[in-house]
Amino acid sequence: MWGVKNNGTAVRRLKKIIPPVAVVLIMGAVAAILAGYFNFISAQMRVDSQRHLQEVYGQVTRSFDAFINDNWGLLDGCAVYYAADGGTDGGGGFAGFVETQKQNRGFSEFYFLDTDKNYRTLGGAAGSLKPDGDYEAMIAAKQPVMAGETIGGVKTTMFAVAFEGVYGGFAFDAIGVSYTNTDIAKSLNANAFDGVAECYVINPEGNVLLTTAVGGGARTNYLTYLKNALDADSYNGIADDIRNGRQGFFQGELRNEEYSIIYMPVGYGDYFLLSAVPLSAVSRGFLTAQRATMRVLLITFSIIIAALIALLVFRIVTQSNKNKQELQYRERMFDVLSNTVNDIFLMLDPDTQAVEYISPNVERLIGISAKEARADIRNMAACAVDRNIIVPDAELRGIPLNGSKSWECEYMHQSTGERRWYRVSIYRMSIQGTEKYIIVMSDRTLDKQLNQKLQEALDAAKSANEAKSNFLSNMSHDIRTPMNAIVGFSVLLEKNADNPAAVRDYTHKIMASGQHLLSLINDVLDMSKIESGKTSLNVEEFSLPALLEDLNIIIMPQAKAKQQDFTIHTHGNPPDKLTGDRLRLNQILINLLSNAVKYTPQGGKIDFSVQSVKGAGQLVNLRFVVKDNGIGMSGEYIKEIFKPFSREKNSVVNAVQGTGLGMAITKNLVDLMGGVIQVESEPGKGSTFTVDLSFAPAAEQQADRLPVKMTRMLVADDEEDVCLGICGMMRGTGVDVKYALDGNTAVEMADAAHENGEGYHVILLDWKMPGTDGVQTARLIREKVGTDVPILVLTSYDWSDIEHEARQAGINAFMPKPFFPSTFFSAVKPFFGGEASQTETPPADGTLQGKMFLVAEDNDLNAEILTEMLALEGARCEVAQNGRIAADMFLKAPEGYYDMILMDVQMPVMNGYEAARTIRASSDYGRRIPIAAMTANTFTEDVQNALNAGMDAHLAKPVDMDAVKKTAAALLAKGRGKEETE
Amino acid sequence: MKKLCVALAVAMCAAVALAGCGNGDGGPSFDPSAITIMGKESDLKKNYMQRIFDLYRASGENINVMYVEDGLYEQKSLELERAGKLPDLYLHFHNADLDNLDVENNFEYLNGAEWETELTASAAKYCTDGDGNLLGLPFWESSVSGCYYNKTIFAKYGLGPVTDQADFDGLCRLLAGEGVTPVCWAADGCSWMQQFALDPVFADDAKLLEDLNASRITYAEIPGVRAMTEWIYNAAKSGWFGKNYLSTGWDGISRALSSGEAAMTFIWDTWFYTDFTPGAYGVDDFALMPVFMNTAEGGTYEGGNLNMMMVNKKGDKKEKALDFLSFCADPENYNAAFKDISTVSVFRRQTTNIQSKMVTDAAESIAAHERVSTASTKIAGYSSDKVCAVFKELLSGAITVDRCIERLDRDRLAAAHGLI
Repeated sequence: MWGVKNNGTAVRRLKKIIPPVAVVLIMGAVAAILAGYFNFISAQMRVDSQRHLQEVYGQVTRSFDAFINDNWGLLDGCAVYYAADGGTDGGGGFAGFVETQKQNRGFSEFYFLDTDKNYRTLGGAAGSLKPDGDYEAMIAAKQPVMAGETIGGVKTTMFAVAFEGVYGGFAFDAIGVSYTNTDIAKSLNANAFDGVAECYVINPEGNVLLTTAVGGGARTNYLTYLKNALDADSYNGIADDIRNGRQGFFQGELRNEEYSIIYMPVGYGDYFLLSAVPLSAVSRGFLTAQRATMRVLLITFSIIIAALIALLVFRIVTQSNKNKQELQYRERMFDVLSNTVNDIFLMLDPDTQAVEYISPNVERLIGISAKEARADIRNMAACAVDRNIIVPDAELRGIPLNGSKSWECEYMHQSTGERRWYRVSIYRMSIQGTEKYIIVMSDRTLDKQLNQKLQEALDAAKSANEAKSNFLSNMSHDIRTPMNAIVGFSVLLEKNADNPAAVRDYTHKIMASGQHLLSLINDVLDMSKIESGKTSLNVEEFSLPALLEDLNIIIMPQAKAKQQDFTIHTHGNPPDKLTGDRLRLNQILINLLSNAVKYTPQGGKIDFSVQSVKGAGQLVNLRFVVKDNGIGMSGEYIKEIFKPFSREKNSVVNAVQGTGLGMAITKNLVDLMGGVIQVESEPGKGSTFTVDLSFAPAAEQQADRLPVKMTRMLVADDEEDVCLGICGMMRGTGVDVKYALDGNTAVEMADAAHENGEGYHVILLDWKMPGTDGVQTARLIREKVGTDVPILVLTSYDWSDIEHEARQAGINAFMPKPFFPSTFFSAVKPFFGGEASQTETPPADGTLQGKMFLVAEDNDLNAEILTEMLALEGARCEVAQNGRIAADMFLKAPEGYYDMILMDVQMPVMNGYEAARTIRASSDYGRRIPIAAMTANTFTEDVQNALNAGMDAHLAKPVDMDAVKKTAAALLAKGRGKEETE
Repeated sequence: MKKLCVALAVAMCAAVALAGCGNGDGGPSFDPSAITIMGKESDLKKNYMQRIFDLYRASGENINVMYVEDGLYEQKSLELERAGKLPDLYLHFHNADLDNLDVENNFEYLNGAEWETELTASAAKYCTDGDGNLLGLPFWESSVSGCYYNKTIFAKYGLGPVTDQADFDGLCRLLAGEGVTPVCWAADGCSWMQQFALDPVFADDAKLLEDLNASRITYAEIPGVRAMTEWIYNAAKSGWFGKNYLSTGWDGISRALSSGEAAMTFIWDTWFYTDFTPGAYGVDDFALMPVFMNTAEGGTYEGGNLNMMMVNKKGDKKEKALDFLSFCADPENYNAAFKDISTVSVFRRQTTNIQSKMVTDAAESIAAHERVSTASTKIAGYSSDKVCAVFKELLSGAITVDRCIERLDRDRLAAAHGLI
């Protein structure tokens, strides 16, 4: 492994090194090739320039040679001419000849010269010259002379030849002509190379005879110049050549520029023609080509390099963009991911604790911005609920490289206060040689909440299981208790069959136990139905006074049995007619009132009031208050009172029978009706239950009409609230109500009114008044006013107990409390010519006498009970074991054979609904015969199903004969109709 | 009694005359019978002047020397001229203000004097007016102004003196190419270079000078002025004056030449004996060639400014005055007077003076190209100091060539009209 890794590294290193090395090698090769090329070109240029210069300056040399010879030839000619002219003063012919030559050849002056360098011109000017060179020797040797001279301040070159003679008294040894160097330069036409070339005629010592260079007259010795300008070898080479009369060529740097110097002897003496030309002028073509080549190469290479660089840059940029894009994608993806998940990610510098990265979802989850978190990691720590749990720096530093540490932590959202749980894991790792802390805060909130819910559910289940166990335990006891009584008393009944008193007693007790067991079962079923959400309200119009009267009928006897004072009041003039579920309201109020009776000891007081409460909207808001001064409840129990199966644990409650479901059922019914139930209680002082419910007003309130003749009314009740309540309810009816708070005052008021001729049309007396009670008051009033005015008693108690005495005293009728105008109107109507309202009367005995019933019942025992009970009422019946048989029996029976059918619903072969449909569809007789369903199911749906199947009524099992009689009477009287009874 | 009064009056007049003539003592007491020579005090006190006076007196004659304070000389001259009381002999440098003295009516033309041929050509030319009238005897030290070059440096680079402007420009290029400052140009206060260049412009064309002084033309219309200005400007820009020329003054010239930093300068020969301090190079390393500033193809030299003795043609001692001139022009006398005086020869047979080899060697060239000092002496309103200042601005880049010429004209005219 080690070896493989090492080779791989070396290969990678090699791969990194190779490209630059290759580039360097290639560039080196190219440079070498170029150098070789340029060297070759330079060599060629040297050869070329030498050849070129040789050609040019060879030409110039030849021209100069010719010029020199030409002048000597001229002078020779002049000598000949002068001699021929007779050696005179030169006037006339010679002078003219010279002048002509001057014109033709361009020399400046003609001189007669002696060896002392004195001169005479043809014009007679005299002077002396200082020609350079060995003038005297040359003349003496009869050698032609070419010498430089400055005449009149102008540099000139003189040509002289030996010729003796006398001119104008001047003995001369030579004749000469002089040219300005400028003229010679022009005649040589040596200004090649556009005037940049310098051309000199020098002697072997380097002294300049003449120059063609414009402005080059300052150069007096070119070799001296070269000696200073060139290196020793180069100079020596040139100087040696010139000294030895050899022509030569030099190419090198002169005045920081590449020069070509060519030198070749001219045709006189040791003089040389030397020319220095910038190489750029000599080899212009080559140089141009070279430069062009260089330029082209440079451009080409530049283009190539630029292209390479561009490509490289493009690749780098592309790669960089790609990397950037990828990074951006990843960042974006990470952002999306972090916004989607509830985990928070951070990267920290371990040394500075600086937050180098934090996922943006931190703001959503913790409530601090990424900027805040990045500013200081402690801003994050501050969001922890328990800051003690934050791991200190020292411990973090203890995390080994590539190691980690985790802990649970709860954080609170800084804005919303929401709590979240995280498992914080910190990883220490090295990224590109730099250590970092990577922190992952894994959201465990859901898990935590789930666990909590599971725990709660577990606790609830445990609690429910416990409650169920308690319930079953209670139920077991509560069921077994009456069952025990039923079984026990049944045994006793059998054994004491001959003892009618015992039979009656045992039967009564068995019935009581059975009713209690039925009530228990009904409660359990009700609770189950409510909890399963199957209960629905049966909304219909009902009479509030009738409801209150029914309640009074049920509760009063219970209260009276315990000598309890039970009163019913109304306040705020509640309406007579309401729209709502009368049955459920009745159930609620019976539960509350029953409990009040149960948990109020002997002689206690129970007050039940109904108050109309003002509210917004069209609904009628009623407040039902049941207040007792019973045993009360503890504060702890009040919290539990509405829970199923809850009963206060004390000896008193324990002694009272109950399922613990009544209040739970009451609460659920109140909730179902959209109401509120509240309880206030104090142990030993009693309890007050308040139920607020809203009802829709009835479409039409009972339109009782007051007797026209009744306009004055007297009320006597020791409770002023009752009097005021009556006054309030009678307001707007046209009846002037006066009241008295005791009997004697009432007598006086009645008497006084009668005496005034404005006797009251009706007097209403409370029965139970202190001092003179209602009966006595009535008696006294009769003595005063006579018997015309109707006197009624308003009482909560049973009228039958005092009816005889009351009538003796002159009381005409009884009216139950609480006072309702409708009830009052019904009660007083007969005394003013109206008919009494239809009131429900219990069915009279003999209703079923002689009737034939068809009973469909699959249970033999129930069938036997029903048969016997019908027989007791003088009715006969035929039993069918199922719906099919019942239908067949009806179909086979002649019309009118059966008066009514009692149909069980749950039967084998054909159920009751099917059987009813079959019978209804069979004939006209089938459509007319009353059919009542008998079922243990008393849910509203069951009643509705029965009616939908064509049945006329619903009877709950166990069958109540009074209910059967009532239902049968109603159905038989109407022929056929739908009536719901319980 | 009458006579006594006359004598006293004469004596008083003489005394007044003497008192009004000068504030200095002319040496011995005034001799009314002797001729009187008037000049600036500093001029008359030159040793060669004193010598000639002594020699004259020693010859048995007497001469009154009237010393006039230098700064008052011109004013005094005008006063005397207006009063008709010019002295017998009057010293003047023959510059432009001589015209204020009505030369034609007051001074004797000396053409044909026996000593005329004693004068060197340049000296004679200097003392001659535009009409060829010899106005005085130059009895003064003289010099030759030209381009003094370091022949040693020249020889080192194979260079020699040049004879035309093109060669001089080429010479400057070659020297510059060798790293030697071609010309030491002292732009800071050294005010003579421009007059050397202007001399040929106006000396060679007297009409041009006349028209200029008469304000018929201006500098701007004279090609030579522009040619000189442009040459100076371009030479400076080409680096021919070196780097520090703007700050180089009188003292810098000796340093530049003696060190070899610069190869040439435009100056006069006697400077080498009065103000040059040898260094790496000495006097013997230098030679003379004409000044080339694009105003004369063959270059130019400026001859010395000579104080000439002029004769009052109305003076009662005119003949004596003329005799004095003859005395001075005697070779024995002038050689005695100028013995060991550093001067270019004024007289042809002047042998006792110290004339520099530079001048001697260049005699032929000088003879061909020497001009009398014309610009500074003959151009009305010419101020060499002001010219120097304007050119300094030009060379520093503050003004253009055109503006420079304008300024020269402005300064000249203002000075000529007495405004400055």
